[in-house]
Amino acid sequence: MALKGGYHMQIAKYNLASGELKILIDQLPSGGWHEPGGPIFGPDGMMYFGNGSVSQQGVTLPAGFTVDLAKHPNAHDVPGQDVTLTGNNVRSRDPRLPYPYMIETGAFKPFGTPAEKGEVVKGELFCNSAVWRSRPDGTDVELLAWGVRNPFGMAMNEAGELYVSDNDFEEKGERAVANDPDRIWHIQNASLPFGSVKTPAWYGFPDICGDGLPVNHESHLPSRGKAAELLLENPPEWAGPAVFLEQPHSCMCKMDFSRSDAFGHKGELFVAEWGTLAPLNSPRPEDLDHGFRVIRVNVEKGTAEPFMHNRKMGPASTYGTGGIERPVSCKFSPDGKALYVLDFGVATVTSGNMLAFAHTGVLWKVTRKEENNG
Amino acid sequence: MANATQTPTILIELDQETRNRQLDRAKSWLDNVLLTQASHRKLLEDTVEKIEEPHIKQYLAEMALQAEQHEEKARELFSLIDREPSDIRQMLGQVMGKARQALGDFIAVAGGAKGPWQDLHQVYLSNYNSMGAFAVAEQLGLALGIPRMVDITFGVVAEKSTSQLLLQEAVLEMCSMSILYKESF
Repeated sequence: MALKGGYHMQIAKYNLASGELKILIDQLPSGGWHEPGGPIFGPDGMMYFGNGSVSQQGVTLPAGFTVDLAKHPNAHDVPGQDVTLTGNNVRSRDPRLPYPYMIETGAFKPFGTPAEKGEVVKGELFCNSAVWRSRPDGTDVELLAWGVRNPFGMAMNEAGELYVSDNDFEEKGERAVANDPDRIWHIQNASLPFGSVKTPAWYGFPDICGDGLPVNHESHLPSRGKAAELLLENPPEWAGPAVFLEQPHSCMCKMDFSRSDAFGHKGELFVAEWGTLAPLNSPRPEDLDHGFRVIRVNVEKGTAEPFMHNRKMGPASTYGTGGIERPVSCKFSPDGKALYVLDFGVATVTSGNMLAFAHTGVLWKVTRKEENNG
Repeated sequence: MANATQTPTILIELDQETRNRQLDRAKSWLDNVLLTQASHRKLLEDTVEKIEEPHIKQYLAEMALQAEQHEEKARELFSLIDREPSDIRQMLGQVMGKARQALGDFIAVAGGAKGPWQDLHQVYLSNYNSMGAFAVAEQLGLALGIPRMVDITFGVVAEKSTSQLLLQEAVLEMCSMSILYKESF
């Protein structure tokens, strides 16, 4: 399992019989906004896992970081390759101080630490916004990819090809980005023999949106918040394009491939979409009902169809009806005949805050009608 | 011109007597600063011992080291106005730290929280109390025209304000769990 808490994310092994918890990897820099991905195990027997970015928008800022900033004021992003910085710092208020106080922060720096133009930040094996693999005991860790903002969902098809979900920048705050699509990346380095990856692939964070355009492209200029500037002077080669682009703020989460003709849609990727945080993270009316469903993605064609959703798109509690709230995970049963969908439950959102309520989540089991389910 | 040279110079709040009186009054407040800080430091040190959750224990341990430094800085404020702190007030502060613990225990029993989280709630309140005392001292430094007093107190208030956010997170997260699950964590 992956554990998040403190300045490090950990990969741990829990023995259900003995109750022993063993920490396998404890160097993954964390303490910020995004989540671990995995671990999952491939047909090669190796362990695959991810670690989202500390910052929400490429620089540690108070807009989405106040809670984490209180607990981990020294947390920051770490690149997977050496990068040279443009020195474009972001000016913001400092919420740690008792009255309005402005401060500057640079990329890959703790909050309140500016970067210099031309400054080189060394790439690390244990970075964030990254995907790795290792032996099941956590040894021989190999960095496959970085620049993946939030690799929360990870799944392998029967051929052993690795796919990760990734969520878009937000349109608010001091480094705002508009119309960044959610995406699914094909991590091609995972197909190389274990131990042979010399250079990790870079998927764009913190400067490239899911569509391959830079964050300061006119199509990504925000209608709310301060427009983003580029942070990297010598970005690595972009590893895109994505195999699938989804509507902004759909919040694609955990996912799994169908492996069963009895269930159907064999080879398609089922993705839980937690749903938008608009109007908190986007001022656009068209973003208000994105997500809140499970989709099935054809990763070869780059297309998707809705699979499980309410008659009227959006969380059921909005309309006072029964149904889906916010699907956060989906997983096929070992025989592949049933899809389990974990519904997070009620989270209310306004333009100023979000509140999540316990005891409102449910687990759905989806099966094909018996006459078709041999 | 002749009239002007004959008019005696009037010093408003700049004569030595007025200055000494204001510094004495400021000294009384600095005793409050030291009292509230000593109370907070004592309560914090005792609470660190009781917490088991590793992350919060580490946060509080670092905060306790900072609290010692803040207490030293509270003492330094006296030297800036050429006065001595009252040791009795500081001792009283430590006793008050103990009293806050007892108050926390009582509140916890009445409120249903189990374990040291009631102490954490009292640490949260006592940090806020001492932060306010330092903030008033900062204003005194501005009003008396003593830049060093402002430099010292601004730094302390900034660190305490940061700690206040962290304490609030810990209190909100853990006290509710302690009440519902009756576990010490």
